[in-house]
Amino acid sequence: MKGKVHGYGGKMTLGERLYLGEIFRGLGITIRHVIRNLLHTGDMPTVQYPEERRAYSPRFRGRHRLMKREDGTPRCVACMMCSTACPADCIHIVAEEHPDPAIEKAPASFEIDLLRCVYCGLCEEACPCDAIRMDTGIYDMAADSRAKFYVDKEFLLNNTTDGTR
Amino acid sequence: MVKLTIDGRELEFAAGTSLFEACRVARGEALPHFCYHPDLSVAGVCRLCQVEVEGMPKLTIACNTSVREGMVVHTRSERVRRAAQQILEMHLINHPVDCPICDQAGECGLQDQYMNYGLYESEVSISDKVNKAKVQVIGPRVVLDKERCVLCSRCVRFCDEVTRTGELGIFNRGDRAEIGVAPGRQLDNAYSLNTVDICPVGALTSLDFRFKKRVWLLRSTPSICHGCATGCNVRVDHEAGTVYRLKPRRNPAVNGSWMCDEGRDTYRELHAASRLSEPLLRRDGELRAATWPEAWAALAGAAGRELPPGAAVVSPRQSLEEIALFAHLAAALGVPAAAIGGGPREADRGEGDDLLRSADLAPNRAALGWLGLQEPAGADLAARVRAAKGAVLVYGADPAADAPGWREAVAGRTVIHLGTHRNATAEAADIVIPLSAWAERDGLFVNRQGRVQASRRAIARPGLAQEDWRFLADWLAAAGAAEVPASLPELRRWVAGRVTALAGVDLAVLPPEGLVPDAVAAGSGGES
Amino acid sequence: MDLVLTTFLKMAFMLAVILGLVPVLIWAERKGSAYIQDRTGPNRAGIAGIRLAGLIHPIADVLKLLFKEDVRPAGVHRVMYALAPFLVFFIALLTYAVIPFGDYLEVGGRRIPLVVADLDVGILYVLAIASLGTYGIVMGGWASNNKYTFLGAVRSTSQMISYEISMGLALMGLLLVSESLRLTDVVAGQGQLLWGFLPRWGVVIQPLGAILFMTAAFAETNRNPFDLPEGESELVSGYHLEYSSMKFALFFMAEYTNLVVASALIATLYFGGWNIPWLPRAVIEARAGGLLSLLLAAHVAICALAAALFLRRASRERGRFGDGRDREPGLMAGVSILLGLAGLAALALRPWEIGPAGASLLATVLQVGAFVGKVVFFCWFFIWVRWTLPRFRYDQLMHLGWKVMLPLALANLVVTAVVVALV
Repeated sequence: MKGKVHGYGGKMTLGERLYLGEIFRGLGITIRHVIRNLLHTGDMPTVQYPEERRAYSPRFRGRHRLMKREDGTPRCVACMMCSTACPADCIHIVAEEHPDPAIEKAPASFEIDLLRCVYCGLCEEACPCDAIRMDTGIYDMAADSRAKFYVDKEFLLNNTTDGTR
Repeated sequence: MVKLTIDGRELEFAAGTSLFEACRVARGEALPHFCYHPDLSVAGVCRLCQVEVEGMPKLTIACNTSVREGMVVHTRSERVRRAAQQILEMHLINHPVDCPICDQAGECGLQDQYMNYGLYESEVSISDKVNKAKVQVIGPRVVLDKERCVLCSRCVRFCDEVTRTGELGIFNRGDRAEIGVAPGRQLDNAYSLNTVDICPVGALTSLDFRFKKRVWLLRSTPSICHGCATGCNVRVDHEAGTVYRLKPRRNPAVNGSWMCDEGRDTYRELHAASRLSEPLLRRDGELRAATWPEAWAALAGAAGRELPPGAAVVSPRQSLEEIALFAHLAAALGVPAAAIGGGPREADRGEGDDLLRSADLAPNRAALGWLGLQEPAGADLAARVRAAKGAVLVYGADPAADAPGWREAVAGRTVIHLGTHRNATAEAADIVIPLSAWAERDGLFVNRQGRVQASRRAIARPGLAQEDWRFLADWLAAAGAAEVPASLPELRRWVAGRVTALAGVDLAVLPPEGLVPDAVAAGSGGES
Repeated sequence: MDLVLTTFLKMAFMLAVILGLVPVLIWAERKGSAYIQDRTGPNRAGIAGIRLAGLIHPIADVLKLLFKEDVRPAGVHRVMYALAPFLVFFIALLTYAVIPFGDYLEVGGRRIPLVVADLDVGILYVLAIASLGTYGIVMGGWASNNKYTFLGAVRSTSQMISYEISMGLALMGLLLVSESLRLTDVVAGQGQLLWGFLPRWGVVIQPLGAILFMTAAFAETNRNPFDLPEGESELVSGYHLEYSSMKFALFFMAEYTNLVVASALIATLYFGGWNIPWLPRAVIEARAGGLLSLLLAAHVAICALAAALFLRRASRERGRFGDGRDREPGLMAGVSILLGLAGLAALALRPWEIGPAGASLLATVLQVGAFVGKVVFFCWFFIWVRWTLPRFRYDQLMHLGWKVMLPLALANLVVTAVVVALV
């Protein structure tokens, strides 16, 4: 819609100050929208969300997942780089001794509070082992309690596209 | 005195000063180094502290050079910088660079030096590195990773020179050289964790602290070890209200750079399950949790019924201010002077040695003497308490466990326990008041030398526990005493005025190494 | 007895129309605002996939509100808190009593006037009742024990006082012209033509009065741009902030009921009421057969068009959702076809041969239809204005009320009085 935009403090003309004419002009604009949208229902920019989904970039940061080694154990070595980098303080790791001295350190527990997470991706950046990724593309999460958003190592290791837990 | 020029500044040092220390003063920071340690002999093996001395054809290591008249030294020249970088690269040739899983990361000499002097592109691929044993438990408290070692030999020298036990050595030659324990032995001396402290890299790590916390998350509070009468200066490393480890703080007058392994374990009592976090009152024969108003009502009731005369016992584990204030409170409540004392004397006795560990495990026994409080033996204590009728106040001590005949002596009387843990005395008490443990409040402690040192508050108190002096002052006020200190500095001034040994001492400004009052230094001078 | 029965029937009819309009208005508000703002609006709630472009949403809303917990905050004045929503809703309904929604209905030779209570002082009654509405709001706002609700209530009162005067003065002009306080007389007067071609509607002979009245009506109903009593951006949601469940629903319904009242008043006073311009009752009754046939034919045509459009959509969007919603266009096409067929069947009954009784009935139905149509248009106008204009600032509101509308209303009254005296 084209139209003249007045800056603040600009002088209004007499017609504009009478207000009534401008009201009808405004009503004209809105009714034009209504009629156009009534005649071309399909042209609306609204995305019909659950059925239609916007295509996100592959770099989109969704829910986290933990990568696995070939033997299925977590790649994470509990170095705490991610929890240190995390600005939301949402990653909680407890380390333990790994039986293999070549690996040495492993996470006894790895928990993320998804409700505190701000999805900034700094944990991915910080990880020296490429053990945490945010490439699942999952952004629609729903659960009926806060506790269910506090996800643990098993959940993050088997993170697929279904809902939370 | 000798005069020399370092980086263009002319400075004077005592003859025999090592050039390393002179450079530390001149630069305001130490030269890069791994093997040098002020409390160990000079080894000169890491070659990192090389400086340029005019007139010398080659660079020379500062640690093994003494200052000389007219020396002109450059520590920031391009030649020195390149030398440090190249030596560092050599140190890192076989280093696994496994910082993510290394506990030293964050306080690692290699990391610091690399960020300061290194920053080169490595040309060694990980597959070319020499592999050595990892995760070797070489003693009850220490884990060795031979790959990470830079062979500075600090740990070897420590075991040879300080503990004189000689468990460690360097074995093999060239790039197969490695630190190891002498065959058939273990690194199990009473000071073994000092090797972890002085290890500049992650080769030696503490089995207790291992993987508990990344060090950069820890906050440090300077404090005093409460393990024995030596009063080693320590750093309390804590995060989010939890203490994770104690590290020695250098104080040549007390503990050098060291502390014993037992002292390092004392942090555990802070988070023991038996910590008191709320007042307990005996109801229907059982100790039950209560609120502070209920506790105050119970205290007032007991004081009104059974005091005076009563008896009061204080532990030499409390701070100088607390002991003084407690004695004052007991007197104000009507406890006769003869029935106020420390003890029992047998408590807090351990095995000592001639290095740091004292046989006296109480960190503040000297303060009892300073305040004129007697310390009877267990049987005497029980007899004395039995003789004094009325309520019994116990502060910090555990006479039910340590003094024979205690239980019979207090049978049928109200026992008020002020303390931090649910010990035997607390279990048998009628009123239990939760107070702060040593890392949870400020206090002054007098070690076996008669040295007054400050212990600082590091973490918060658990639950409803109160700060000791504030509780004592509140009770004092409730008892109607005239002078009640309103703040800790005021309390300290008040204490200094009551103790003859502290005449003329300002407790508000203690020097970093602690303070031996002139009166004490002129006298016996303490135990050691 | 007959009087009681017919009065009850008329009341039932009015109530049905008004309460039936409320959910439709809520829907129109949501859908209309969406279309104004290039959004889709409600289109989710459905019964077995039938969504009727969001018309099912009000049903879902009502169910939700019915089952919600009725929270009573601490510190409220219990009696007033409970009474306020009922009072607001009750007063909103009262005004309808005097609004004529048709001329008369001829049943067995007797003419029943289509107004619940044909008061001699109809307009005064309207003004009296309209100003009562604010009591409920003040009670609710004060009894809620909340500063926002209280501020909303205070604003509502001051707004009511400011605009009531202009409203009354604007009406005075109309009274001078129509020479009666009885609303049926006012409406009947508007059925004539001015100079033979112009409907003698209030808006034609009192244009300034009409504008002032409409503006004041907006203010009295607390609708945008005069919705300061609920101003979300300042007062969270104003006087009904602390209400929940059906008590909140009553406030919500009262708002829309007031909207219908205001629309009905505007239509009655200034837009001819149930009069169809240029088509007086006599003409309708004379040409009843032709008119009915024409209407039926138009109905069939519209049904055919709708069926065609729905069928096109059905074929285009086949399997779009993969659930019950896919059936909707086909079903709507079927309904359109059935309605069209019903129209055809009616045409087959020879509507052009309709008798005098039928002609009278047709005239009544058309007039009631005209009234309802005008009311619906003004309801839409309220919604339309709300989504076009921004809210006034409080000082602007007061400026407009006291320094613009009041002088204009006075001037209008004086000029009208002079003209009436001269003519």
